[in-house]
Amino acid sequence: MGQGEKSLSAPSDEWSPARADRRQILGGAAVLGALVGLPVHAWNKVREGQDGGATASEKLLLARLSDLVIPATDTPGAVAAGVPAFVELALRHGLEDTAPETPGRVHMGEDRGGLSVLDGVERELNQLSNSLFLNLPPARQHEVLSAYDADAFTGERKDHPWKKLKGLILTGYYTSEIGGSRELQYELVPGRWDPNLPLAPNNRSWSSDWTAVDFG
Amino acid sequence: MSMDFDTIVVGSGITGGWAAKELTEKGLKVLMIERGRMIEHGTDYVTETKAPWDMPFRGEGDAELYAAEYPVQHLNRHFTEFTQNHFVNDKDNPYAVADGTQFSWWRSYQLGGRSLTWGRQSYRWSDYDFGANKADGYGTDWPIRYADIAPWYDHVEDFIGVSGAAEGLPSLPDGKFLPPMALNVVEQHVREAISKKWPDRCLTVGRTANLTEPKEGRAPCQYRSICARGCSYGAYFSTQSSTLPAAQATGRLTVVTDSLVEAVDYDPATKKATGVRVINVKTGQRSSHSARMVFLNASAFNSVHILLRSRSEAFPNGLANSSGVLGTHVMDHASTLSTMAMMPGFEDRTTFGNRPTGVVIPRFRNLDSKDGDFTRGYSFQGGALQSGWTAAKRSAGIGKDYKAETRKTGAWRMVFVGFAESLPRATNRLTLDPAKLDPQGLPMLSIHFEHGDNERRALADAKKEAAAMMEAAGGHVIMGFDQPNPGGTAIHEMGGARMGHDPKTSVLNRWSQSHDISNLFVTDGAQMSSSACQNPSLTYMALTARACDHAVSLMKEGAL
Repeated sequence: MGQGEKSLSAPSDEWSPARADRRQILGGAAVLGALVGLPVHAWNKVREGQDGGATASEKLLLARLSDLVIPATDTPGAVAAGVPAFVELALRHGLEDTAPETPGRVHMGEDRGGLSVLDGVERELNQLSNSLFLNLPPARQHEVLSAYDADAFTGERKDHPWKKLKGLILTGYYTSEIGGSRELQYELVPGRWDPNLPLAPNNRSWSSDWTAVDFG
Repeated sequence: MSMDFDTIVVGSGITGGWAAKELTEKGLKVLMIERGRMIEHGTDYVTETKAPWDMPFRGEGDAELYAAEYPVQHLNRHFTEFTQNHFVNDKDNPYAVADGTQFSWWRSYQLGGRSLTWGRQSYRWSDYDFGANKADGYGTDWPIRYADIAPWYDHVEDFIGVSGAAEGLPSLPDGKFLPPMALNVVEQHVREAISKKWPDRCLTVGRTANLTEPKEGRAPCQYRSICARGCSYGAYFSTQSSTLPAAQATGRLTVVTDSLVEAVDYDPATKKATGVRVINVKTGQRSSHSARMVFLNASAFNSVHILLRSRSEAFPNGLANSSGVLGTHVMDHASTLSTMAMMPGFEDRTTFGNRPTGVVIPRFRNLDSKDGDFTRGYSFQGGALQSGWTAAKRSAGIGKDYKAETRKTGAWRMVFVGFAESLPRATNRLTLDPAKLDPQGLPMLSIHFEHGDNERRALADAKKEAAAMMEAAGGHVIMGFDQPNPGGTAIHEMGGARMGHDPKTSVLNRWSQSHDISNLFVTDGAQMSSSACQNPSLTYMALTARACDHAVSLMKEGAL
């Protein structure tokens, strides 16, 4: 992989609202919008024009959430793998059953598609934080998201928006070249079938085991 | 009268390819007509070597597009972003269903048809199957038995290449197999545990039309298991890899694509089919082709649809329908996930490569004695696998530890999917919709179909027995179902122009030949008089080859 990768990587442990880049300043504008009672995306639409995609603050939130779920470790994490852009595309096209309206029917003519799922997650994370989630320090974000995640997977609530969003983050990562072929193993043409081999404890699974991906 | 061709073959899928091959090799000049687009072997398998990250939607596909244009097709387990170009667009290819009918009609309109997307499972039927209608009175007696078709099974297997293990089972006769693909470590264990407790039950590897040895210009399987994208190795049987090159090698085959057969023309004076009327689906232009003989291989429901559309004064209710049974007694299989179990004890074992077939447990119920509270039987297909990264979608966790856990190969699990025989019933039938038209302006096909009580009782027993077998092998059952999935989802829709002894109660005779019209043959799934509980495609192929042989001898005798 090229040298440019590092600059793409999310600085998992260093992220801080104090060191704001341009996107984060836009995020700050969203914060202001939220404080004066405007929905975040409405505020940003005012600021940026209406392209129908995710607003800057939504992009920032997607990047933070992606990084918190799959951080950089000995392999690059979700941000380096381009997960936020994939999740945005996926939400706009209703993947992981995120399309608004009745199941099986995508609401047409509304470009934001499933981005409302992201809005719902943001609202709930802010409530859970008693603050603006994006403004929390990374360690606190990790705590809040862990608690939210645990609740999503153990609670009674059906159709939890975080399960869908997390599902898309996972899809985005493990179907990227980084996630599929470096974090996991990828072999398009195995060329043979071995029905019984030893499995080392520290193994990497196959992203090209299509049956496991579909039914595992 | 001068004829353009000796034979017109309608459809280029599994049986159309076989008809073209057999008839051209026997010296006939054949026109094969395909309603869908051209797909060239290899060069047109455009997604074959793509990785998920090469695809706009990472192989998952555009859910918005699927909801709008592929609402039925995208439910197929083989339908992905990699394979969507091998399935029809539902919006452009509508069909009607009767009130209360749920029917997923999964179709592939293209050169090669569903031979490109099929599951490749290749099983012989036995006399338990061919004798079933006579034994219990459902449907009409098959006019053939295993001895009639056995040499044609040999002929087909020799040519297409079927890998499998000979097991000596009366309910699933052995064929001429290429070496089998091995059971994986867990499946091998389960096979042994089952046979120890139930000596009459056999778990064996799925008999599949994937080569385990090179064969006539086709390379062996590469263990990718992405067959439905198209395989440029030619390692699985498709029209393109197998029958089409053989037919083309004769120099006697003409292929046209994008051409929908509107109707078969009939001459009441000679009582013969004279050819077909065709609509170019791109230009709307109509044309006619004549031939001495017509083979319908358009897929079960489409061949029936063509006959229903081919109305005339002589046959006001559809061509070759003096019996009135055309369109009736359609079947599928009643299938469901009978059981899923976790299989502990193999945490330190794994596999390499993707075997393109699962396992099968052939029918063991109601063979020589009745041991179920239903008639006929069911079989299981399934397999054991280790979870991959998608299992993380069901797990709580975020961050480094979660990522590290998701990296690892997951736990072993095993599934058995039950396939129960679908009884032939007059009420399950295809008709022309009285009002709706398809985009070509032709009456739409209407499907009335429901699974019956016998199928439900069979699947209830299947659920119980599947769980018992998993548990006998040390598995922990986590789920299982006993209600059938909607009609069509086994992708074994068949019947509608059934074979039978009596022209008054059946459409075709024992040679897949119309009782009414001697030069009209229907050799796809439409000809089936019962459904058995194993995959039917190999039987369609064998009956096609047999019908071609008979047709050519009749032609040589001057009888056609």
